[in-house]
Amino acid sequence: MAKRVIIVDDSRAVIATAELALEEMINSGTIEFKSYLNPMDLLGALQSGSENYDLLISDVNMPQLNGLDLARAIKADDRYKNKPLIILTTESSNDLKMLGKEIGVTGWMVKPFSDDKLVKSLKMILGV
Amino acid sequence: MDKLKLLIADDSEDNRLVLRAICRKLEGFEIRDAVDGLEAIEITQTWQPHIILMDIMMPKMDGFEASKIIKEQYPDVVIIAVTAVIDSRVEDNMSLIGVDIYIHKPVDRELIRYKLQSIAASLRVTLGKKNILSTKIALNPFNSDIRSFKTIFDILNAESMMDFGMWLFDQYNGKSIVASNKFDRAVEVFYMLMSQGNKNGETMSIIIEESYEEFYITMKFDRVITLEQKVSEMLKEFGTEFILQENIVCVRLSKPQEIKVIAKEIPKYIEKILLTTTKVESTCQSIQEEIQESVKEVKEIRVIQSNERELLHQSFVNKTSAADYVSELGGDVLEEILDLTSIDEEWEGTLGAIEKNPTEENFVYFADSVLNVYVRAINNLFEFTALAYALTSLSVFMKESAKVVSEDSEKIKMLIMLLEHLGKDLTSWREHIFILQDTADIHYVDSSFFSSCMQIEAIIDDKHVDADDENDMEFF
Repeated sequence: MAKRVIIVDDSRAVIATAELALEEMINSGTIEFKSYLNPMDLLGALQSGSENYDLLISDVNMPQLNGLDLARAIKADDRYKNKPLIILTTESSNDLKMLGKEIGVTGWMVKPFSDDKLVKSLKMILGV
Repeated sequence: MDKLKLLIADDSEDNRLVLRAICRKLEGFEIRDAVDGLEAIEITQTWQPHIILMDIMMPKMDGFEASKIIKEQYPDVVIIAVTAVIDSRVEDNMSLIGVDIYIHKPVDRELIRYKLQSIAASLRVTLGKKNILSTKIALNPFNSDIRSFKTIFDILNAESMMDFGMWLFDQYNGKSIVASNKFDRAVEVFYMLMSQGNKNGETMSIIIEESYEEFYITMKFDRVITLEQKVSEMLKEFGTEFILQENIVCVRLSKPQEIKVIAKEIPKYIEKILLTTTKVESTCQSIQEEIQESVKEVKEIRVIQSNERELLHQSFVNKTSAADYVSELGGDVLEEILDLTSIDEEWEGTLGAIEKNPTEENFVYFADSVLNVYVRAINNLFEFTALAYALTSLSVFMKESAKVVSEDSEKIKMLIMLLEHLGKDLTSWREHIFILQDTADIHYVDSSFFSSCMQIEAIIDDKHVDADDENDMEFF
């Protein structure tokens, strides 16, 4: 069954480039791809149980909610506590990474990202 | 030999538990934990572990600093860096301080066990060797003029018994052996001796010394040995080539000779060599074809320049909220930015025109009349250097690649799609900063926008974006 991958980023261009990078996995039915521009919408959907995922990719700097705060809220929920969540951001400071690690994010990837590396990491995490 | 001491240094309790669970299945290890680099150093000083599994990212003191200090004090300790997926700069630095073994996250259980077992086996040999070599005398009673190295097997279990057997077979396999050589019988005798020792709960080791012509295989027990009848009879076959002394049994064996080719068989060998050569040539050719094939697929790299990297990762000490920022802004500048609403239509309209008529001129028009107008307005704001740079860079790229892109319908489609998204991102940026004024940080989008522009250029240019492995996924 296709793994559900969600990306949350306030930039449409980032979502579009990520979708292009994952095109092959999407077309082959390995993953289904869903995107959210507003982290609050995603959080609401997850909390109400109308949304679910196998892997979540989140930006950090978003106007409505910081990606690390989003991660903290999601990780506090038993339903999503053990699900992989990766951060895709231009932020590369060690302090922020350390904070991400404390919150329990699975991995950190710095933008601009390499298509191959994103695909490789996703395959490794999802075991596909 | 005593158990090997293994220290797991990781600030995450979950990770420590996982690593412990993986290592617990291995025999012969005593395990302790450290929660940060400082504690790893303290425990190393008091407990002196043989192997350390060192997480790199830890609070108080990171794994790199801790490894550096530990390696200075205890150069023999084997440090395995547990880290994110391949970062060549970190690995170069680690290598300089003597850390060359890695476990990458997410961890592969079997690989960790394999690495730890290999290291442990190597350590046991080295530690054993040190003990024995420090006596500086030959252990075997046959010959004191031996070569400086020894091969040692600690016989701990069936596996190590097998290792010894394998080693001995390896020495003789495929080589010319003098008729009187009893190496196969030696394997059997030592096997019997090991079984006897095992039954009696003895610790044994096999030490192999060598002269240029002979192997001296000595089995050493804890206590004086009384041979079982069966073993004693087998050893008699060795005549004067075996010696039993208190707690050691030693057998000497002639080393195998290099195969000497008999003259009449030379043509056969030449034929064989020629056949091999042809095979090698054809393999080389197919490898070359494969390489050429894969080279075709390899993309060029869009290298990120250092000034670009600075802009991408620029940080502002004090965060300015949109409301504060706009209240300080002069009326003229704000008006100019608000006027950009009209350029949204121009942005969409021009992309529509390119879709219908993807000429080189239309691409250049988009660069000059849409992107550059934006750049001029943003330049008046001073604050948004990264945004202005990104749009300028995109404009230059559009002009430079207009000809190539205009001839490729796939790329035209992709570029239009990406530019439409980018245009909407800019609209949303203007709304959040200048109209809604609802962002706590006016720079929330700069780097991300710049990175998108870079990514779009790379996609259209068929290149990989790369910044010295900076964009590898780092696993925690």
